[in-house]
Amino acid sequence: MIETPAEPLPVGEDEFRLIADSAPVAVWVTRLDRKRSFVNRAYVEFLGVSYEEALEFDWRRIIHPEDAARVLEASIAGEASLGTFALEGRYRNAAGAWRWLHSTSQPRRDAQGRHIGFIGVAHDVTEAKTAELALREREAQLSAFINQTTAGFGQVDLEGRFTLVNDRFCEIAGWSREELLGMTMQQITHPDDLARNQPLFARAVRDGTPYTHEKRYIRKDGRIVWVNNSVAVIRRPSGEPFGVLAVALDVTQRREDEESLRKNEETLRLVTETAGMATWEADLETLEGEWSPNRFDLLGMPRRPDSRGTFEEWIARVHPEDRQMARAAAERCFTRGIPYTIEYRICRADDNSERWLQSHGNRIDYGDSRPSRFVGVSFDITGRKRAEEELRESEIRFRTIFEQANDFLITTTLDNRVTSVNPAVIAALGYAEDELIGHSIREFMDEDQFAISMDAFNRKLVHGGSTRLTVKLRAKDGRELIWEVNSRLSLDEQGRPVALHAIGRDMTEAKRAEAHLRLLIDELNHRVKNTLAIVQGIAQQSFKDDVPPRQARAAFEGRLAALSEAHNLLTREHWGLVSMHQIIADALRPHGDAGRFTLDGPDLMILPKTAISLALAVHELATNAVKHGALSRPEGRIAVHWQRIRAGSPARLALRWEESGGPPVQEPTRRGFGTRMIERGLAAELGGSVKIEFRPEGLVCTVDAPLPEGAE
Amino acid sequence: MSGFEGLRVLVVEDEPVVAMYLEDLLDALGCETIGPASRLADGLELAEQGMFDVAILDINLGGERSTPIAEALRARGLPFAFASGYGVPPEGFGAEVPMIEKPYREAQVAGALGRLLA
Repeated sequence: MIETPAEPLPVGEDEFRLIADSAPVAVWVTRLDRKRSFVNRAYVEFLGVSYEEALEFDWRRIIHPEDAARVLEASIAGEASLGTFALEGRYRNAAGAWRWLHSTSQPRRDAQGRHIGFIGVAHDVTEAKTAELALREREAQLSAFINQTTAGFGQVDLEGRFTLVNDRFCEIAGWSREELLGMTMQQITHPDDLARNQPLFARAVRDGTPYTHEKRYIRKDGRIVWVNNSVAVIRRPSGEPFGVLAVALDVTQRREDEESLRKNEETLRLVTETAGMATWEADLETLEGEWSPNRFDLLGMPRRPDSRGTFEEWIARVHPEDRQMARAAAERCFTRGIPYTIEYRICRADDNSERWLQSHGNRIDYGDSRPSRFVGVSFDITGRKRAEEELRESEIRFRTIFEQANDFLITTTLDNRVTSVNPAVIAALGYAEDELIGHSIREFMDEDQFAISMDAFNRKLVHGGSTRLTVKLRAKDGRELIWEVNSRLSLDEQGRPVALHAIGRDMTEAKRAEAHLRLLIDELNHRVKNTLAIVQGIAQQSFKDDVPPRQARAAFEGRLAALSEAHNLLTREHWGLVSMHQIIADALRPHGDAGRFTLDGPDLMILPKTAISLALAVHELATNAVKHGALSRPEGRIAVHWQRIRAGSPARLALRWEESGGPPVQEPTRRGFGTRMIERGLAAELGGSVKIEFRPEGLVCTVDAPLPEGAE
Repeated sequence: MSGFEGLRVLVVEDEPVVAMYLEDLLDALGCETIGPASRLADGLELAEQGMFDVAILDINLGGERSTPIAEALRARGLPFAFASGYGVPPEGFGAEVPMIEKPYREAQVAGALGRLLA
């Protein structure tokens, strides 16, 4: 830096030039109009132009783009201030190299103190600048490293006053940097740890002995932080100690973990006992050792103050049947170090009750001079054993049901392949088990039935639940079987279907019976309707306008009775063929003693329908006989003869009703239902002719018809 | 006046008492009964003769069915109604054939005749 006087130069211009040209720095003089009136040799050499060109040179052309704006701004501000100002920036020299130049401009004044321009000086500071930048970079890197590390760096003087701390140390200690720099390490150290800390610190200062220890800091917020500090003395080049540096690590978490671990160890025994685990140790020489209190409880023995028990005491409680096994397992462990897990029964010492225990035993070998020890754990598994037993029984029960059920039990995969069948399925379908397992159910039913099954299956896939359907299967011999099948998808723990369970029942017989029943009901319906129609006809014929009501009712009742009697016979014969003789006899019975009737003819069998018509016709004849004919007199008789006439083909029936002993017969003036029923109805029923003759000695009715169906 | 005066009705009904009743019922409506036929053969014979305007056929004729008569009538274009306790027409016939349910009721018989003449 050149000291430039505020006054005009005390030397002459030439002398100034000489001085300026010999200076190793660039020098220039500007006038009030900011034009340069002088530049020195160094200035010209830097630009690599002529002296005249240098006076006019626009230096803004060679300024580094990164510095241009800043420099220009400072330059304008400096000139405007009319005071001294400095600029620093990179400029390109004649060789094309960037150089850091530091320039200072001072105002020039005339003798009256008026501003007349500036005189400027520029040093090349490139080397210094580069060194500074490198240094600054290293410092920044180091600082970042120190501050970003997990370790805290805390430096104190020999009295313990903080002189330097990094960010991490502040964070760990819980105080700000400003606060720490006004405190001592003794102030933030936990009082309980200070007594141990002070002698170490004093010895380090005195003897330079480094140390590592763990202690607590009390943070500003009152919380405790555990630190692991590695402490060393810092010396001047002369070897004289001037401070102590601690590298601090936060170990609070580890301390807490250790603390909880220690607590865990204390509670471990409590936990194992609470969990029903009894422990025991044994000295392998004496086979005697410490038992946990609950081990005595487990074996039904009183607890002992010294909590000691022996191997033989334990083995004595083991059920005789399991004793040999338990002893062998334990001895193998004692002698050969083979760990064991055994389940066995004990008989409790107090009430001799039987319990199941599970025991684990292990020999601990230390690998040094210490003798091996045995450690065992036992717990009561009676509940589990019983549950297992129940499960086994339950499984047997279900297996029995599966094997012996009359119902068909089938499981399949989701693609309809049979995975299991019970014997009922094998028996019903006639396939061997291996002809069923692994085969698709499609092989055992027709295509349309498989479609029905798939439809039900898909319904279950979508809606869940179970389906019930009737499906036809094909037995191996081709028989059609009708099964009613209930099926359900079984799900895994995530609720996804994994298989199909089906239970089926043979409905073949039931369906057949159902179909038969349906037929019967239809037939019954037909008969009822038919009978109602007959009753309707009888009623209509009985209750004619010209018949007195009392008489009409009596006639109706008689006809209904005849119809009913005929039905009785039909029912007795299960609506099969009935005896013509029986029908006529039954129809006559209400009208007089059997002695008054002579029935003579072969016992022809006739159809139910014909029987009803015949019964109604005989009823009408008998009713007429009671009113007007043979039966109206005590001595009157009626003879009914019939015969099968084989002359010609087909065979014919000839029947003759002949009354005698009655009053003289007169032809009735009008013909009622009776006559009509006989002459037309019966004739139509028989498909022949029926004739009534009102002979004076007695009524005669003759039938000539083909032999009724069923009569052969 | 029933509107059926002089109508000739073929009756095929196998139960004599019922046939008589139907005959009386038709008589009351002013109709003339042709038959009644109680057997399939008789019914077929009358149907072939065709001396009637309409027919009432009991479906069940003592174990036989009156279907052949119905087919013959259909072939000849003669209108007919079925009568049955079932209320179901035989196979091959549908709702185009009026169905009279037994026991017979006058109104139903008249209704069927009306449909046959419509």
